[in-house]
Amino acid sequence: MAAEASVTRTALASRSLASVVLVVWGWVTLVAGGVGLIGGCAGPLRGPRAEALRISQLGQVGDARHQASMRLVVEGLDAELASTPQRALSRYERAIQIDPGNPFAYLVLARYYAALGDSERALQHLDRAQSLLDPSTAVYRSAEPHLLGLRGWALAAAGGSADADPLLAEARRLAPSVWGDGRLEASELR
Amino acid sequence: MTVGFVAGFASSLVVIRLDRIVRERFEGQRFRVPSRVYSTPSIIYPGLEVELADLRGSFVRLGYREAGSDGSVQQGQYSWQKHRVRVHLRAFEHPTRSEPARDVVFRIRDGFIEEILELPSGRTLGAVLIEPEQLGAYYGPDRSQRELVSLEDLPPHLVDAIVSVEDQRFEVHPGIDVRRIGGALLANLRAGGIRQGGSTLTQQLVKNFFLTPERTLKRKANEAVMALLVELRYSKREILEAYLNEIYLGQRGSTEIHGVGEAALRFFGKRVQNLSLAESALLAALISSPNGISPYRNPEGARARRDLVLELMAKQGRIEPAQRDVAIAEPLSLAAITPDPGDARYFLDLLRIQLSEHYDATVLSSQGLRVYSTLESRTQRLAAIALREGIEQLESQHPALVSDDPIRALQGCLIAIRPQTGEIVALVGGRDYRLSQFDRCTQARRPAGSTFKPFVYIAALEPRVGGPAITLASFLDDSPLEISTPSGPWQPRNFDREFHGRVGVREALERSFNVATARLAQEIGIGRVADVAHRMGVESKLPLVPSLALGVADVSPLEMARAYATLAGGGVRPQVHSIEDLVDTAGETLERRELRHKRVIDAGTAYLATSMLQGVAHRGTAAGVRSTGIKGPIAAKTGTSDDERDLWFVGYTPELVAVVWIGFDEPRSIGFASSRGALPIWRRFVGELTGGQIHGQFPRPSSIVVEDVDPITGARALWGCPDRRRELFLEGTVPEEVCPSGAARGSEDDGFQRTQERFFEWLRKHL
Repeated sequence: MAAEASVTRTALASRSLASVVLVVWGWVTLVAGGVGLIGGCAGPLRGPRAEALRISQLGQVGDARHQASMRLVVEGLDAELASTPQRALSRYERAIQIDPGNPFAYLVLARYYAALGDSERALQHLDRAQSLLDPSTAVYRSAEPHLLGLRGWALAAAGGSADADPLLAEARRLAPSVWGDGRLEASELR
Repeated sequence: MTVGFVAGFASSLVVIRLDRIVRERFEGQRFRVPSRVYSTPSIIYPGLEVELADLRGSFVRLGYREAGSDGSVQQGQYSWQKHRVRVHLRAFEHPTRSEPARDVVFRIRDGFIEEILELPSGRTLGAVLIEPEQLGAYYGPDRSQRELVSLEDLPPHLVDAIVSVEDQRFEVHPGIDVRRIGGALLANLRAGGIRQGGSTLTQQLVKNFFLTPERTLKRKANEAVMALLVELRYSKREILEAYLNEIYLGQRGSTEIHGVGEAALRFFGKRVQNLSLAESALLAALISSPNGISPYRNPEGARARRDLVLELMAKQGRIEPAQRDVAIAEPLSLAAITPDPGDARYFLDLLRIQLSEHYDATVLSSQGLRVYSTLESRTQRLAAIALREGIEQLESQHPALVSDDPIRALQGCLIAIRPQTGEIVALVGGRDYRLSQFDRCTQARRPAGSTFKPFVYIAALEPRVGGPAITLASFLDDSPLEISTPSGPWQPRNFDREFHGRVGVREALERSFNVATARLAQEIGIGRVADVAHRMGVESKLPLVPSLALGVADVSPLEMARAYATLAGGGVRPQVHSIEDLVDTAGETLERRELRHKRVIDAGTAYLATSMLQGVAHRGTAAGVRSTGIKGPIAAKTGTSDDERDLWFVGYTPELVAVVWIGFDEPRSIGFASSRGALPIWRRFVGELTGGQIHGQFPRPSSIVVEDVDPITGARALWGCPDRRRELFLEGTVPEEVCPSGAARGSEDDGFQRTQERFFEWLRKHL
């Protein structure tokens, strides 16, 4: 009998525990579902992003190769700021040689050519940069104003203002302090 | 008198003729300088694995020498310790990547470069470039190589050394030195034969420039007259400079070394302006007998002659006795001879063909152009070794493949390109350039076999009006098929001679099913398949026949590399190129290849194709690619043409596309499939290149969504579906059918599951 009672108590305790777990899980999923609904169904929060991408703020991420490549990208931007464009180009090429999969090396090249008015090359490098960025990452989202804006800038320079205007408008909305003038300076990307 | 007049007139004519010859040569192009081809400079940075960087190998091939024991490291020297490599890098000119001379230290820990320091400042460097390696040169018929130098670049002790031993009265004689001739005559009479020459530097120059080496009175007379003419017309500086660039200083393989500039590079691995007194004396010593006292073959003889030069210099007051003594105490220190393995010769031929549009063979062999190529020295070497030894291994395993006739030997090629930039980083057009110069990577067109199949699937996966023909959750029909063609019915069969009925899209490509693929191509249209192949980089004419889907079209490995590079690059096709810059002797850039690329395939479709091909490398016909433990993302496709005549393997990583082709030049059956022939060569090449760890990833574009599907039906799997797997879809192409089939779309379960998934996705993105 005692053994039976013990079994019953154990079973009851197990059931109670299971009930508690289920209730807690239910609440967690309910709250999670609610937040998910807000996040997923309501879509991205409207309004400007807090920060548009700045290369020098990306920090020491990735393997050594990527870091070395990123250092050269920053050196290239510095060279542009120092009005030594050939040196800048050389740094960008080295950055790509070290890490051909570095999207930021192509992004700065896209900016470089957009600033020169060479829309074709700017767009080519932009395509490459975009193909190398993972859209599910925070970095992509901070780069998005530049991806849109650079495409708009290059298209506008090529005479395609109908396509360019919405892109520039969106870039302006996402990063008004950077894209307000419809251009991206090396200092703003650095 | 008449005779005298006639003789005088004839002599005048001769002098006028000789004078014209002198002027033409001196005032035209004095030297034919072969154009040189260089690899891309290599970059060393912290975090790089020392073995993969091949640092020591680079130094040796570039002619760097081990530093002496005194602790100093001169330019062009290095000292190698376990945890510390110090090297005094030479400066080099490059159109976009010039570098100054730098004394640097690489700190090494656990086989990796931990830090790079510049001396003497101790400043940390983010990266340093190692100068490009010379891959070869476009020689004229004489196969002479020279590095032109001007007199201002030369250290005074080099000029002093040469003048002291070859022509100590150079500054004062008028081209011929009567006193020296008299002295030589006496010496030779005493010796009973020719022991000593009386030629001045000017005469030596005239002999090399204008005349043949024959020893006749007429030639000697012409030589003397021309030497006088040269001295009359040109300054001593011009004559000396021409001499120093012309003088023959030895042989390296079949190549003649001319001039002190080239000799300084070859013998000491340094620019001529950096030669020490002892090194200068050695060059001067070599002039009289470059091969007889070659410091490599006859170091004692070379050293004795060098010391003689130093004695002469001291005796003539050109150096102090103390300088002489220090130089004499210096041991011979020479750059290593690295024989040209000929690895890059197919590549050099490709460049020559590409350059020939604007620069013909004469220009290339005489104008001294510098061609900075895209070839990566280490990658090229590994490719050549992998191909050569891979073919030899196949022959040892299958003796029936061996042929005594080199023309009938088993052949192959390997080409590797960077998908983001389109740079050809390795190209080996055959197993041995000496036996066959035909480049099978760029010149051969062979049936692509199953490496063509991805074009079918891409054409079917591409977005179009009404949606793509298939998704990765679709099923294909691999049952018997007969297609009417003008040449009769065509019945494709699978490699295993069986039909597999209803098969998933992934499985059809992973196992390379012919029938399912041929049926799919029929459904979407062969024209569409060909269009995709052309967009991605196949330039050969493609026959619009049903069997195109299975790769009957003849294509080159280069075309396949370009097409697969488009996939590796997320649908952006690179412009494949082999030249970065072309520079003339003045350093002016004549041509520069910019990076060019174009989006030709939707990013999402390219990603789906890459995902399928990763499956091929993971589970399918290319699964053997990981058998040696290579880690990291690989997408690949095998290809074997009819009767196993052509074995293909196309594989790519996020940063490299490599194509291997194996076959006979006169097609015949090899007797086994690609996975046993071409795959092992690719595996070895990429394994050694990456050290078994492939970097990077194939970025997933935003147009891709992930859903669970029922593996049996391909329907979207909801809660309650007994089995499921994750699958990739282009946005808007997720199957409408659901599993379990009775569940209503948008049911509570489904909504709950989706909400949860969205929540976790949101968390992943924002936290």
